[in-house]
Amino acid sequence: MGSRPPRVTSSGSALGARLTRREDPRLLVGAGRYLADVTVPGVTHACFVRSPHAHAAIVAVDSAAARALPGVRAVLTADDLPHRPLLDAVAVPDLRKTPQPALAAGRVRFAGEAVAVVLAESRAVAEDAADLVRVVYEQVPVLTDPEAARTERTTRLCDDLPTNVVYEGGREHGDVDAAFARAAHVLSGRFTTGRFVAAPMEGRGCLASYDRADDRLTVHSSTQSPHLLRRKLAACLDMPEGRIRVLVPDVGGGFGQKIPASPEEVAVALAARATGLPVKWVEDRRENITAAPHSKDQIIDMELAVAADGTFEAIRARILGDSGAYSYNSASTLIESYLSAGLLPGPYRIRDVAWQVTAVLTNKTPISAYRGVGWTASHSAREVLIDRAARLLGRDPVDLRRQNLVREFPHTSPTGMVYDSGSFVESLDTAAELIDYPGLRERQRVARETGRYIGIGVSPYVEPSGWGTEGAAQSSWSFSSHDSVRITMEPSAEVTVAVGTPSQGQGHATSLAQVVAEVLGVDPAEVTVLANDTAAVPMSTAGTRASRTAAVTGGALTLAAQDLRDKLAAIAAGLLDRDPGELVFADGHVHVRGDSGPALPLGALAQRAYFDPAVRAAVPEPDLVVTRFYDPPATYSNGCVMVAVEVDPWTGGVTVIDAAAVEDCGTMINPLIVEGQVLGAFAQGVGGALYEHIPFDADGLPLATSFADYLLPTAAEIPPVRLGHHCSPSPLTVNGVKGMGESGVISTPAAVANAVADALVPFGAEVDRTPLTPEYVAGLIGDPDRPQSSS
Amino acid sequence: MSPDRREVSLRVNGADRRVTVEPRQSLADTLREDLSLTGTHVACEQGACGACTVLVDGASVRSCLMFAVQAEGCEVTTVEGLASDPEELHPLQRAFTENHALQCGFCTPGFLLAAYELLAARRGPDEREIRTALAGNLCRCTGYQGIVAAVRQADEQWERDTPGPSSGER
Ligand code: FES
Ligand code: FES
Repeated sequence: MGSRPPRVTSSGSALGARLTRREDPRLLVGAGRYLADVTVPGVTHACFVRSPHAHAAIVAVDSAAARALPGVRAVLTADDLPHRPLLDAVAVPDLRKTPQPALAAGRVRFAGEAVAVVLAESRAVAEDAADLVRVVYEQVPVLTDPEAARTERTTRLCDDLPTNVVYEGGREHGDVDAAFARAAHVLSGRFTTGRFVAAPMEGRGCLASYDRADDRLTVHSSTQSPHLLRRKLAACLDMPEGRIRVLVPDVGGGFGQKIPASPEEVAVALAARATGLPVKWVEDRRENITAAPHSKDQIIDMELAVAADGTFEAIRARILGDSGAYSYNSASTLIESYLSAGLLPGPYRIRDVAWQVTAVLTNKTPISAYRGVGWTASHSAREVLIDRAARLLGRDPVDLRRQNLVREFPHTSPTGMVYDSGSFVESLDTAAELIDYPGLRERQRVARETGRYIGIGVSPYVEPSGWGTEGAAQSSWSFSSHDSVRITMEPSAEVTVAVGTPSQGQGHATSLAQVVAEVLGVDPAEVTVLANDTAAVPMSTAGTRASRTAAVTGGALTLAAQDLRDKLAAIAAGLLDRDPGELVFADGHVHVRGDSGPALPLGALAQRAYFDPAVRAAVPEPDLVVTRFYDPPATYSNGCVMVAVEVDPWTGGVTVIDAAAVEDCGTMINPLIVEGQVLGAFAQGVGGALYEHIPFDADGLPLATSFADYLLPTAAEIPPVRLGHHCSPSPLTVNGVKGMGESGVISTPAAVANAVADALVPFGAEVDRTPLTPEYVAGLIGDPDRPQSSS
Repeated sequence: MSPDRREVSLRVNGADRRVTVEPRQSLADTLREDLSLTGTHVACEQGACGACTVLVDGASVRSCLMFAVQAEGCEVTTVEGLASDPEELHPLQRAFTENHALQCGFCTPGFLLAAYELLAARRGPDEREIRTALAGNLCRCTGYQGIVAAVRQADEQWERDTPGPSSGER
């Protein structure tokens, strides 16, 4: 049976074991319980009335017809639900705030913004009623082009701000002008990263109930950050945090989109409080694609200074971020453009860096976090320029990168990131080996002779990971990292751990159990991970994001498990009349080192701790509950993605024909789960490189509103990926664990873009954006019968 | 019964069931809401993602696009019909866990039934055929590699009557 992880026989075999996942059997038989599956007596279903216009004044709302429909319980607008708006919590100097109401008040700023919420006995009736709500709008000029929005003075999205610019700032690290003046070559160009949406298969959703007698709010939410949601609800509803309880059921993917508290969640909570009805909202796909936060969408003008021998000397970038209509709460628009700037040097030794970041409001869906955050865009722009440099210098792109990669650790990047350890060169070489780089080059040459165009792209990366306070600070980011965990051993010796970082599919019920089992010498199957209820778990202010759970929560759990083991050892030492230092925890027993006699079962030991007052002579407080806190030092994972593509010169269609992904995330807790993260992020990266983008028309209406026009890659588009590992444990974190999971989205779009550029060398074409749609690629090719050179 | 509701009789996972539904109600909603079979997930309601895939008379169907009234007299298999006990997984489900073919699990029931249809029809599909057969199902988490590996393993391990194209090799 594959339903239980294999037995661990001794201490020291749980960490790093390729265990199948604890959560799988339940999910495989359809017994998962996602938000849509959660219900309470008297549940009322919400449907939002959303703006069909990108920018308009709300003149009147007439809900009489909707309210008259049988089964409708209420129709509520901003006027009915007074509240404090959502506000971003990021403290970067000069960042302007753009308060966002839960329901649009007086004005809508993007198509899809919620204007009213209908409550009814079923979602179907709520949808019928939403169609009957008549909203009178008065349209005002629409801003869709971020460059135009930047200079526009008359049409402004936020009346309190003088312009549409929410952030403008820059920094220079080193003497960049001198470096450029000195450089033998300067490569420059503009690169545009498309507008992605995370598109977890399960959309957002929540179910809120309010108990008037007690003034308590209970919210089930498909969130990544239950404590953060609680904090935001408390602020918006003006309630003490302690009166709000957030529960998290199984979550069907998040990828960052479910980090922030959403206006819809606030509206649902307000509606529940105002009406006394339990209110449930399950987002549909159209809402998820049009109204849930988007991401990426940066325009980067970049210059790279290169010495005659190929040394990268300096980078200069102007980054323009399209924020959409609001600088989104709890992340802010800077999650894209500003973080983008911090990773400009990437995995290379580049001494001088200068950047200028501008973030502007437009009449589009707000931008927020999505896997890889702003790093995808700057990484892509840099890597595309590096390939151009290789072509200019007549250098092999793998070789040119190898020359410039960071080799010595710790390495402090000019933007202040301290790469603690890594295998930058080794990962590049392993990727090239896995994909048979020389063989591919030969295949490319032969193919070109017959009019077929194969290209190879390489993209080594460094991923800021495992974010605690210091990691965030090295990205010049303010980030509240406060995580504590609790371990409890029951009298039966079963172990329960309580953490504030729920899983959206990352397998925490398995990996976190392994971390604890390693220390206590028990079977990971004996360890239950609880992460689903703010009333039952200690605080994690940030929740699951920024590739932090393995490093932060895992680290705290290791410390807590060590404390628990120490206490158990002290109790056992008293019972066995031994020194605690002689005791070994393994197989669920306490052994005496060098003594082959019978060992003490943990169950028997725990029984004594709970029920035998005599143990208190040695250990006065024998409770088997430990709480620990951990805020890890900054740590960075690294690796390399390589792909080969074939471009059809007639259609512009791109097929990824081969791929390799090498990951180094330090000590691995569970290689199976690590590989799952690598593969999943790779596929999302291919999606962003080739298909995924939400264009807007001149009226500010989104042109992708379903999976028929926002295309996710399927099994047919993703090639088998050759996987490789290196292991450079962090010298700084507990267990040497680093975070991982976002790198595929950071690095893969660049690998694919460069592979396409490489394929198109005979046509003299250069790529300058993602996604590389067939239309765009065909445009680059021009006449397929007329390659300019015949290399 | 109100005039705008219809009675439907169908067999679900081997049991006779009778439900009263609005004519516009989807089979997916009926399975989830009237029969409490919440293993069938809904991720787009537009026929684009395959999360809601079930078998109707042995053929895969997007239950978000089929009305419950159309299932009158049909035999429906949902994920709960493959194996409902986590301790007694179907070989296909077992292959999914052994190959890390699921992360969040939201797409998984749809993939299981699409793969079931493929393997029930034939033995020995190669990588390309498997990927093509599963191209109507979206997974945002796994990158598909584990899913394809799981289907290959299940093809080997699932003892079934299906004739193979090259049964001599086995
Ligand atoms: S929910 Fe039926 S195909 Fe997506
Ligand atoms: S496992 Fe999450 S969508 Fe497939």
